Amino acid sequence: MHFLAAICIIKMHKNAFPHDKSDPEPSSRSGIDNDDPHPARLVVDSDSGLNRREFIKRSSMALAGAAAVSTFVGPRRAYAAGAVEVTFASAKFYGRQTMAEVVNAFNDSQSKIHVTYKELPPPSSSTEVHQALVQQLARRNGDPDVFTLDIIWIAEFAGAKWALDLDQYFKDSTSDYFTGLVQGCTWQNKLVALPWYVDSGMLYYRKDLGFSAPNTWAELIASAKEATGSGKVKFGFLWQAKQAEVLVCDLVSFIGSNGGSILQADGKTVSIADAPAVEAVQLMYDLINKEQVTPADVLSWDEEPSRRPFTGGEAAFLRNWSYVWKIAQSPGESKVVDQVAVAPLPHFPDKKSAACLGGYQFGVNASSKKREAAVEFVRWMSSPETQLRFATQLGLCPTRAAVFEQPEIGKEQPFMQQLKDVFLGAIPRPVTPKYPQVTLALQSAVSTALTTGKVEESLKTAKQKIETIVKA
Amino acid sequence: MPVARTLTQVHVESGMRFPRWRPGAWLLLVPALGAIGAVSVYPVLLGLWLSFRNTTLSSPDDAFIGVSNYQQLLADGQFWNAWGHTIEFTGASTLLETIIGLGMALVLTERFLGRGIVRAAMLIPWAIPTVVTSKMFGWLFDGQHGLVNYLARIFGLIHTNINWYGSPEFALPTIVMADVWKTTPFMALLLLAGLQTIPRSLTEAASIDGANPWQQFWMVRFPLLAPSLLIAAMFRALDAFRIFDLVYVLTGGGPADSTEVLSTLTYKNLFSALQFGYGSALSTLMFVTEIIIAVGFGIFLLKRFREVKL
Repeated sequence: MHFLAAICIIKMHKNAFPHDKSDPEPSSRSGIDNDDPHPARLVVDSDSGLNRREFIKRSSMALAGAAAVSTFVGPRRAYAAGAVEVTFASAKFYGRQTMAEVVNAFNDSQSKIHVTYKELPPPSSSTEVHQALVQQLARRNGDPDVFTLDIIWIAEFAGAKWALDLDQYFKDSTSDYFTGLVQGCTWQNKLVALPWYVDSGMLYYRKDLGFSAPNTWAELIASAKEATGSGKVKFGFLWQAKQAEVLVCDLVSFIGSNGGSILQADGKTVSIADAPAVEAVQLMYDLINKEQVTPADVLSWDEEPSRRPFTGGEAAFLRNWSYVWKIAQSPGESKVVDQVAVAPLPHFPDKKSAACLGGYQFGVNASSKKREAAVEFVRWMSSPETQLRFATQLGLCPTRAAVFEQPEIGKEQPFMQQLKDVFLGAIPRPVTPKYPQVTLALQSAVSTALTTGKVEESLKTAKQKIETIVKA
Repeated sequence: MPVARTLTQVHVESGMRFPRWRPGAWLLLVPALGAIGAVSVYPVLLGLWLSFRNTTLSSPDDAFIGVSNYQQLLADGQFWNAWGHTIEFTGASTLLETIIGLGMALVLTERFLGRGIVRAAMLIPWAIPTVVTSKMFGWLFDGQHGLVNYLARIFGLIHTNINWYGSPEFALPTIVMADVWKTTPFMALLLLAGLQTIPRSLTEAASIDGANPWQQFWMVRFPLLAPSLLIAAMFRALDAFRIFDLVYVLTGGGPADSTEVLSTLTYKNLFSALQFGYGSALSTLMFVTEIIIAVGFGIFLLKRFREVKL
């Protein structure tokens, strides 16, 4: 019984402190802060020694605590009577300001709508964010009215009819956003989400090592070998091959840089076993085993383990997201301040560079009973002014071309303007409502290919699996 | 069995063959039964029911499809791969933890200076949350900067760094090591409790009869400890079978599915892919395997108890 009761306590704690910011670190994407997947287990481990009396005492304390907290941090200010109540669920982002502060700014700016913010885990725990949203949306009871969604969930949410068709509200203003992003937010010719911020994979390199940004993979390999050969750095090129979502992000940019794709635009034709894809995965394998510019450790590395050696001055090249830039430039955390530059990822001869598109978007719940208010809130959240605020205060790159040019951004986040071209070249991961199943099949197959070297065989297996998934 | 005897006496004295139907008593049982039903029986049955459907949360599919989830599962290489790893992990970790735990318990049951402190300190690994343990072992066994590689190199055991989590041969054994470090104290504690129930007079008598310490252990202590040992091992095996956190944090099931276990595979199917039907079939098969393990230990235990009785 202790076990069950402990779960209840945990639940109470979680509900009592929804805005608890126990994590002071600003690198919101970092993999180390992953939320614990098994919270109940932890408490049972440490509490199972409690006797009954002590247990009851603690439970009642937790209850009292929950009551006290809700009294003190409940609605902080009264809002106009008759205001429409809208709920907003989002992954947790913060920089100099938090999401809650941005939402409060909206509440203060007008009196017709009052938004209640529900915080979900950070985007580094993307699976948990997805799970929390899906559980809510599948009930189709209109809660939350507005939510934020990862670019890879667009087709799934639209296919399940959880995301409202936004065409009638925003059709005319889509030209203000980057075209690639609007395409990413479109499913079966309908706009189902509004772009919020953009992120993409990119190549970080050390400009102090005497080479310029490589255009092709061959150039990168040559420079990496030169850099490690001279003993200036330990590693040539770091990327991520842990059997996780990040592997698919890396995969997309390797295959894209050879003009290939995983799934064709029709959403049915699987091209993962075609020549361009096979060549690209062979290159990934060769980087580790033949050219040996990448340590085999990347097979268990996601973003953060690969970032640390680079900002520690041990690597010449790194593929990662935009969050690394800020860390690389802060003297407390980085040994390579002012020695780092960013460029598009290299490509195969006569092909084009490809970056993996990331970022979150705004969606409106199709079952929302307060559509107009919800749309109004989304309009404000995606407005140029709010995008500028997200850029300068939370470090999230704008999705409106005009906002990118603002002088404030040049002053506060100069790297964003340098990276504009990288963002514009970003390509999406396979677009299909079955993406969650597709990505699992890809992760398994590509991890096998990179570990065993059986590239063609693994990709053929992946092709068969994915064909079964998308045809079902 | 003093309790049983008293009950029989009561029955005989009051002349009753069967307990009388007492609505009041059943009424008092309702909250407990309700709670167990709601949190234990209902979810299991719901899971079973879902496993016969093709429910996928992100699609309108939600129909009865008979046993085809199970057919698909039994033909799924990934399932058997994960099943094998889970059995491997359960066997290896339970065996190692029982042997090392027994050693620790035998030491800690002897009197020596600072025993109390050692007993308390021993529990520290077990008190640390598993996710913290995972992170710690992630650092220790890091392929490039890990302490384990560093020490092994200094002592000349290896020449080049071992890629612990990035190679299929080493990843699962490394996770077993982390689990052994964390859970051995738990086994030691259970076995220590078992050892304490063995009267000292028995070992003293054996030593007077001329038994050496090895014989004292094998002939006297071990047979008496066996029931505790089996119960502890059963707990451990059932718990190890559910291994999730270490794998989830350290490798995510990779590389090349080499550390994929049933819990992580179920989690991926249920909560990433949202295939509630297929995922439920998976967890049902997991449940069945757990029952088989429990029954196996149970038969062993029952035999043991009968032998003791005779």
